[in-house]
Amino acid sequence: MKWFINNMFGYWILLLVISCGLSAICYELFLKQLMK
Amino acid sequence: MFDFTVAGHVVPIFLLVLTGFTVGVVGGFIGVGGGYMVTPALIVFGFPGYMASGTDACHIAGKSVISSIRHRQLGNIDWTIALSMVGGTMLGVELGVRLLVYTKNIGLSGVVLLAASVAVMLGLFIYTQVETQKSHKKLTADRKAGKEIGREVKVSTLPLFFQRIPIMPIIKARKARLVISMWVIVIVGVFTGVLAGFLGVGGGFIRVPALVYVVGTTSHLAVGTDLVEIIVSGGYGALRQSMEGNVDFMAVFFMIIGAMMGAQFGSLATSFVRGPAIRYILSYSLILATVGAAMRLVYVLTGGTAEWLAFIAVVFTLGEMVFLCLFICTLVWFAVRHQNGKTVPEWVPPLVVTA
Repeated sequence: MKWFINNMFGYWILLLVISCGLSAICYELFLKQLMK
Repeated sequence: MFDFTVAGHVVPIFLLVLTGFTVGVVGGFIGVGGGYMVTPALIVFGFPGYMASGTDACHIAGKSVISSIRHRQLGNIDWTIALSMVGGTMLGVELGVRLLVYTKNIGLSGVVLLAASVAVMLGLFIYTQVETQKSHKKLTADRKAGKEIGREVKVSTLPLFFQRIPIMPIIKARKARLVISMWVIVIVGVFTGVLAGFLGVGGGFIRVPALVYVVGTTSHLAVGTDLVEIIVSGGYGALRQSMEGNVDFMAVFFMIIGAMMGAQFGSLATSFVRGPAIRYILSYSLILATVGAAMRLVYVLTGGTAEWLAFIAVVFTLGEMVFLCLFICTLVWFAVRHQNGKTVPEWVPPLVVTA
């Protein structure tokens, strides 16, 4: 976990995973029906 | 109560406000309109394509005004460069749109556009990333050597080449502290305008690197100056789209509410960081947009049958907005911690301004 914070590339990956995870949840909860 | 209907679809209001906020933060920080993020996001929310594009254009114009006012207060706009470039940009956009119509008429459209987007953005990403990493290393070394470091550090020698071109009229950009042939600025405007018109985007993510690496401004000035360009090009786009009836003004209203807060924060955030931090975020934005365009290219080439690819594209489109917004917010948080003498990751101190 330390590597993900102390290394810029690691931090990049960590934030990207969090962001895409949040987006996937948002898609499942709110957007799936809208897109049908 | 928290939903409203657009073109037969029920859209949650908070998603529109959130989209406006995140793109406002990103746009205020790196000087882009964010059309390449917002239009696909609105389509995901259920907007028809034409309505997404028109609503986005209107929102970009409003957001750029808010960001520009804030950047003007921060002293991040060079009016000489901005006004010299406007004519070239408008001419370039018109040429780009005509080139687009021509390619459609000869039977090349979607695939060529996407392939061109991928190639241009990938090239810009590689150059920006390599140069910014070198600048970051130089900043780290100077900091360790105890040297005093300014708000901007660049290692690219390209601007010196362009500033030496002796074609009259030569203009003096006082704010940017540089002397350059006006033709260089006009041609940069035309070239970036052609790309913007051809690719169907505002062009901020092409113009900001061009201002930094060709004209030779600092990253902060490039951001503010580019936002002035976006007011003109975005305003024209908003007017045209409104006349065609492609704008949902209620959606624009809710997005602008979010963008008002986001753009203020994003613009103010630039005062906490050094130039390479802005270029880092710009390059991240470029690579994410490249991957998004590449996925759409694969989707088109596979005949639009790969459902899993469509799902990933949706998650990625929303994810890139959240990612960039989170990166900027945490960078500001790290900057404040560093100013207060608290511990921050090793890569942060060279990128942020110390009180």
